[in-house]
Amino acid sequence: MEDSERHDERAKHLFLSHLQARVGSSLVARLGNLSPGAIFETPYADLVDKVGKDQKLERLFDGLQRRFDLALVEAQMKERGISAITLADEAYPGMLRNVPDPPPALYLDGAIPEEPCVALVGSRKASATGIEMAGKLGRALAERGVCVVSGLALGVDAAAHQGAVDAAGRTVGVLGCGIDVVYPRSNRALFDSVRRHGALVSEYFLGEAPLSWRFPARNRIIAGLVTTVVVVEAPEHSGALITARHGLEAGRDVWAVPGPPGVRECRGSNGLLADGGGVLWDIPEFLEAVAPRGGAGPELPAPSVPAGLPDDEAAALCGVGLEPRGVDAVARRSGMVMSELLPALALLELKGFVHRDAVGAYVRRAVP
Amino acid sequence: MSVCRARSLSLFGIDALPVEVEVDVSPGLPGFSIVGLPDAAVQEARERVRVAISNSGYKFPIKRVIVNLAPANLRKEGPAFDLPIALGILAASGALAPAGLERAAVVGELSLDGGVRGIKGALSMAEGARKEGLSRLVLPCRDAPEAAVIGGVEVFGMRTLKEAVEFLGNGLRRAPTEPAPQNETDDSAADDFADVAGQRYAKRALEVAAAGAHNVVMSGPPGSGKTMLARRMPGILPPLTMEERIEVTKVHSASGEGNGSLITHRPFRSPHHTVSTSGLAGGGSNPRPGEVSLAHNGVLFLDELPEFGRTTLEALRQPLEDGHVTISRVAATLCYPARITLLCSMNPCPCGHAGDKRKACRCTAGQIERYQARISGPLLDRMDIFVDVPRLSRQELRDEPSAEASAVVRDRVRKARATQISRQGSPNSMLSGRKLRKMCALAGDAETLFSRAVETLGLSGRGHDRVLRVARTVADLAGERGIGADHLAEALNYRRSHLLGR
Repeated sequence: MEDSERHDERAKHLFLSHLQARVGSSLVARLGNLSPGAIFETPYADLVDKVGKDQKLERLFDGLQRRFDLALVEAQMKERGISAITLADEAYPGMLRNVPDPPPALYLDGAIPEEPCVALVGSRKASATGIEMAGKLGRALAERGVCVVSGLALGVDAAAHQGAVDAAGRTVGVLGCGIDVVYPRSNRALFDSVRRHGALVSEYFLGEAPLSWRFPARNRIIAGLVTTVVVVEAPEHSGALITARHGLEAGRDVWAVPGPPGVRECRGSNGLLADGGGVLWDIPEFLEAVAPRGGAGPELPAPSVPAGLPDDEAAALCGVGLEPRGVDAVARRSGMVMSELLPALALLELKGFVHRDAVGAYVRRAVP
Repeated sequence: MSVCRARSLSLFGIDALPVEVEVDVSPGLPGFSIVGLPDAAVQEARERVRVAISNSGYKFPIKRVIVNLAPANLRKEGPAFDLPIALGILAASGALAPAGLERAAVVGELSLDGGVRGIKGALSMAEGARKEGLSRLVLPCRDAPEAAVIGGVEVFGMRTLKEAVEFLGNGLRRAPTEPAPQNETDDSAADDFADVAGQRYAKRALEVAAAGAHNVVMSGPPGSGKTMLARRMPGILPPLTMEERIEVTKVHSASGEGNGSLITHRPFRSPHHTVSTSGLAGGGSNPRPGEVSLAHNGVLFLDELPEFGRTTLEALRQPLEDGHVTISRVAATLCYPARITLLCSMNPCPCGHAGDKRKACRCTAGQIERYQARISGPLLDRMDIFVDVPRLSRQELRDEPSAEASAVVRDRVRKARATQISRQGSPNSMLSGRKLRKMCALAGDAETLFSRAVETLGLSGRGHDRVLRVARTVADLAGERGIGADHLAEALNYRRSHLLGR
């Protein structure tokens, strides 16, 4: 292809990307095998039989076709230090190109690493154990030289990114909003870290709002960029399961971290295991499967047996389970009086045997 | 000479200032005017006094009557000048020997039939009279027992204007009113901790709070029993000292909430979250003490803390820091005492179910963040104890062993508080700076544990002080002189959860 021709192609893909950000990919899919160029040039009236008649849609089509200005788009991106790669570019990630519904263009803040990528996804409201597991996996993968891809949401996503950042590894955050929009805002610091350790990626142009339908849609990009999808903790009907489904459709390996049975936050991820997903019960085994190194990696410390604990702390530890439990429940199970239990719990927490979660419930930590 | 003087008192904040009522009756066109910055209620005294005098069987002088309330620059408000004005007029017109009005302070509102109605701030009036060196205080019968508590001034309660005239003018002898017998704290009817099944953790936290007068935040889903626990807080508070009783009664009496006797219980106030800033902190164009002052020496309970207006809550910062509220007006600056234990309850998120095992939370992270951001950091910084109150299942409630009665807890609290007062003269919650370092010195085990905790848990400077203060109280409850590792470890449980303190 000639340069000017490619430039033209690129413009048409960017146009399609803007259109898709407004109307969703399903509508663009209904346009069938029309090329981006054709969509750019065909007036709405000629497309009516494919997309159905809709005044709002008509206005949108016409407006975009008339006003889309490549020079302006490029200038805006340049000003913010954002780059774009389209399906017409060779730099477009090969893995992503082969999924059923690849985004016409990706906006990048940073650069997508060359390394193999693994997605770590899960619930925004995961348990303390889930968060901890996500962090550990992120760290372990990054140390193995695997790039951690996730959605920069709260909970598991944030922990996974943070783990990779902590290990000074590579990580990519795929956004469900405009490339320059920080959502949720409390993750601002993490956004910066991820940008420094890899890239922020979005199919949405500058300033696009975090609309609820955009998040399930971006999950196909997460699944598309990676070789393996890991679900850490996910309730039924959750975004993480959508990522897993996209992964299966695109032929990716799907693993899940087993959770306690019957716990709502783990029903989705456990369901994946029941359906035959990879069981992530041991981090070294998992690493060996997704990023074989040949030769044993460093052994992760095994959960130590709390020997030599004072009696009251040992008794208190017996009352704390793998599921978060309020102080009163711990008191009941351990049979201790409050004035003895409270000091014991604090000491156990300091020693790292238990974790106190956001609502003051205690849970045992597998690895102190 | 027809100028007569009666001494009276005017409430200013919770203190009474002397006011002289000068009455001049001179020949001229009949009229009646009051000068000396009177407000509407004082102006209307003209009608009440005129009718009350005639209905008591005296003659209102058909002359020119001028009443001056001195000092003239102080705003006078309320109907309490009715009685001194009436007595002054009667003295000036000869119905009463002016000598009778000397060395007596007179306050009281008149009704049209000549009866004497109750007033606000009787206790403060008695104190003011004593300070002025007046030996007698004449006031409405209803308020006499309250005023008599102060001592050092003879208090006489009056039912009617006629009775007052006869008493003052004709030298009628009678015994001054005795202070009302003080019924000792009787909590048999109050809500008892024993009625609350389970929630031993929260109860323990409230016990520590009561002992050290620490401010508490209880966080938990709806229906977990936060309000129920809070309502039982007064039952475990240490008894009021005499001095504190007088302070509390002065505030309540000044706001017109007194019941004519000394208040012996620590007040427990729970304003609704729609309360206005001046309703909470005090104020208004005729300044009145707010809820925070009415809770002086007691507990202010704010249920559903995030529902309170942000500016309303900010008004609590001064009283929490200084123990009083200053209300500044162009005319004057008032000061109401407000040393309180602040007890708050809140849900962890807007729907209330974050962290609840039985019901899913449907709030987005942003909603939770915004909800919790409604409470400002500086306010949270003044809270010593954070306790999570989970919802208990029916099974859990049934399995609970019977709970301790409030009286047992109060006994421990009383001892711990007495220790604190004799050691440092204030409850532990007031410790800060050098005093805190001195009273909460750690040794050996405790020191090691604490440095480890500071490191592992990332305690801030303020969080550090909070843990020390609470640990001091835990040690006091255990009757120990030094803070042990166990006391410190228990105090660590009461620190702020991550959900709140990001």
